[in-house]
Amino acid sequence: MSAKEKTQPSRSTKVITGATAHDCGGRCPLKFHVKDGVVIRIEGDDAPEPQQLRACLRCRAYRQFVYHPARLKYPLKRTGARGEGKFERISWDEALDTIASELKRVKETYGNSAIFLVIGGGYLAALHSGPAVMARLLSMFGGYTTHYGNVSSEGCIWAVTAQYGTTLVGNSREDLLNSRLIIMWGWDPAKMISGTNTMFHLIQAKEVGAKIVAVDPIYTDSAAALADEWIPIRPGTDTAMMISMAYVMVKDNLHDELFLNKYTIGFDQFKDYVLGTEDGLEKTPKWAEAITGVPSATIERLATEYATIKPAALMDGMGPARSAMGEQFTRCAMTLAAMTGNVGIPGGHAGSGLMGLPVGHMFRSPAIPVPKNPVEAAAPSVRGSLDLIRRLVYRIHTNKIFDAMLTGKAGGYPADIKFVWFCCNNFLNQLGNTNKAAEALKKPEFIVVPELFMTPTAKFADILLPVSADIERNDLTRPWPSGPYYMYINKVIEPPGECKSDFEIACELAPRVGIHDYNDKTEDEWLRLLVSLAPDMAKDIPDYDKFRSEGIHRVKLPQPIVAFREQIEDPEKNPFPTPSGKIEIYSQRAAEINNPLCPPIPKYLGTWEDLNDPLAKKYPLQLITAHPKVRAHSTMHDVPWLKELVPQRLWINPADAEARGIKDGDEVMLFNDRGKVVIPAWITERIMPGVVCLYEGGWYQPDDKGIDRGGCANVLTKDEYSAGGASTLNTALVQVRKGG
Amino acid sequence: MQIGFYFDQTRCTGCGTCIVACEDWHDIPAGPAKWIRVLYKEAGKCPEVFVSYLVVPCYHCASPICLPACPVKAISKRKKDGIVVVNREVCLGNVKCKVACLKACPYDAPQFGPEPDAKMQKCDLCLERWKEKKKPICVEACPTRALDAGPLNKLEARYGKVRKAEGFVYYKKTEPSIVLKPKRP
Repeated sequence: MSAKEKTQPSRSTKVITGATAHDCGGRCPLKFHVKDGVVIRIEGDDAPEPQQLRACLRCRAYRQFVYHPARLKYPLKRTGARGEGKFERISWDEALDTIASELKRVKETYGNSAIFLVIGGGYLAALHSGPAVMARLLSMFGGYTTHYGNVSSEGCIWAVTAQYGTTLVGNSREDLLNSRLIIMWGWDPAKMISGTNTMFHLIQAKEVGAKIVAVDPIYTDSAAALADEWIPIRPGTDTAMMISMAYVMVKDNLHDELFLNKYTIGFDQFKDYVLGTEDGLEKTPKWAEAITGVPSATIERLATEYATIKPAALMDGMGPARSAMGEQFTRCAMTLAAMTGNVGIPGGHAGSGLMGLPVGHMFRSPAIPVPKNPVEAAAPSVRGSLDLIRRLVYRIHTNKIFDAMLTGKAGGYPADIKFVWFCCNNFLNQLGNTNKAAEALKKPEFIVVPELFMTPTAKFADILLPVSADIERNDLTRPWPSGPYYMYINKVIEPPGECKSDFEIACELAPRVGIHDYNDKTEDEWLRLLVSLAPDMAKDIPDYDKFRSEGIHRVKLPQPIVAFREQIEDPEKNPFPTPSGKIEIYSQRAAEINNPLCPPIPKYLGTWEDLNDPLAKKYPLQLITAHPKVRAHSTMHDVPWLKELVPQRLWINPADAEARGIKDGDEVMLFNDRGKVVIPAWITERIMPGVVCLYEGGWYQPDDKGIDRGGCANVLTKDEYSAGGASTLNTALVQVRKGG
Repeated sequence: MQIGFYFDQTRCTGCGTCIVACEDWHDIPAGPAKWIRVLYKEAGKCPEVFVSYLVVPCYHCASPICLPACPVKAISKRKKDGIVVVNREVCLGNVKCKVACLKACPYDAPQFGPEPDAKMQKCDLCLERWKEKKKPICVEACPTRALDAGPLNKLEARYGKVRKAEGFVYYKKTEPSIVLKPKRP
């Protein structure tokens, strides 16, 4: 269609509101212009300001995603070796019959625990979401083994559970305009969005006079637009800087003693550690300077500013928590927020990159009911527990799923895995140690992957099922850290070829494995039911059909949400949901774990693959794997409009490049004992010396020597987790040399 | 009347949403032709680094220098709104005339696709959107509201008459129809 034809207003063009449910930080209404059953254009939300929700470039490029020529359209059966990517087309009957017979065979031969359900956040909506529909199916089939640990946020989740007893710790984004100081610590909302419109709110905060400081190994896009000051810091050492900031506050008597006495427990123990009463080591700014690379004078100044400019929001992102000892980073940030009295007040921030609101949050999204998993029937209760080990009795830690495939029970895992169902993830690419994972994927007897594209993970499937995209069926979705609002994703177009949703796949597979009561409702009946069953939606949405046609329901609040406002205003009536009813700077539950890597008070703990590791002699650079702005993790990887904007490159400081004879644009090899990646270099002063950055989500593409040519950062990262469950994808030592 | 742009350089994060929204709206494939571009500038040394972005659509100059450069009068300036448009049916293509318009334009606004003998294309300020009382797609898409468009005198009244920004040069000879808020005043 020519541009001219398109500009003619046509009676046959309809505009339908939908959205995507990608695992990004935004959730944005999109107006799809549809002509003859084809989306020809996309416009954004047209609500009046200030509530207009503006989508980012990813969804603006959605046409090239949904109409991508590489979309999978038919069920496929593997014909080559696993990972080789050779498949042939088969019918749905053959695909589902084969899967059913394998499920039954594995169940009979090995028991239900040999069935491994591997779930991800690739599609975050209520009904057609693979994780829930497959959990329902496999539970009804007698159970399955699954995994525990959110790749993005587990460090934060552990920390907020310890400190506050809840994961809903965010303020409304417009409350940023009340802050006089905003510290963006490992937080880059310009790229990862962190709630639709968050960057706009930050810009407005700056325009009304907030001072903004960025602490980060890289000068992020957010920092470049907003920060009055950039403080580069060595990866994994943020906690040391925060503890020495606490030292400055205590020494200069800048901390809010009244707040600490009234709302917290355990500050004295923390103070003993900070001052060195506990261990004989004073955590001075000089001590932190040696660890972090941040000048002690800078630490003193930031500590003084944060303690004296009120209200102030320390916005600690999830990235630094996505590292070994990442839980300590989030706990330290929350402790500083308490020391400065910035919890529960407008313009403050309680801490943690979760930033979720208690209204309309994604965590509270309705979903298709899932019966209890029989394989986990004897599992201990984990409610409120900080003990990761209790969660890993029947489950495998997410960053160990491939190790578990390799070693099974002999390796200490709860099951020997024979059958794997991957859904809504590309975990070969997105978890630690991709080369090892590729080896592990040769081991299971049978692998099923429902997917939209031939991802690196999908190449290992025995049966590959083509899945419909967000706007090819109706569903409900929600924002993660912003809002509050609820969204209805209207079906805008028909799926291509023979694509089905994960829900439809489960419905058709169920009778083949002897389950005849899997589903008795139409899509519309389910969606109406899910809206009516979700307490928040049932209350807020009086008119389902209006909600559906508008595609969004915005919740009107009497005032911006401030997490823990009630606890601070009236602590007698509103205790914190912790065992003590207070903010727990000292956590008895953490103490009971009796693991020095999960101390009851936040501490700086050195780790493997930091600069003190002897390995640093061989691999002297620290790798961080930041989010790209042109993908939602590995989703939308091959969209031409996006791909050409940001080529997958290695950020490297001129000093590190020069020492290696590397010029801008040169091919370089990034390597450690886990693998090799060849990628062009981008030489920039926006990264501190000693650190390199490769965006996560580049698709793994090993050549015949096993060298990755796709820029998959996890070829270099470790398949390990921190003591509280954080994934450690920002903890890796590497070396870089010129040439491929 | 002259329609023009406003660009707040302090708000731009260089995200590229304007670029992609423009490509989607005008159905422009990935490749060399971009009706709006974002230029990147980095200066200084870690940690004293300065970064700025400049959006470059067509600035629809008051005296568009591309007009007389075109050997076949394919480019014209609309009387009613000052939008500079190209008649692609008249354009000779980039081989025959050796991109005279692009060579003349100090902002590289005229664009050419990768196809052989590509005809010139460029930003038309989304002229058909104005009929529906909508602003250009780049303006409505910008997540940080760094862009605006409208009658130039109204933009000047609202945002001032500053015509400088990092990476931007105001050519008096062509008089680009844009006012700006620079990142370094």
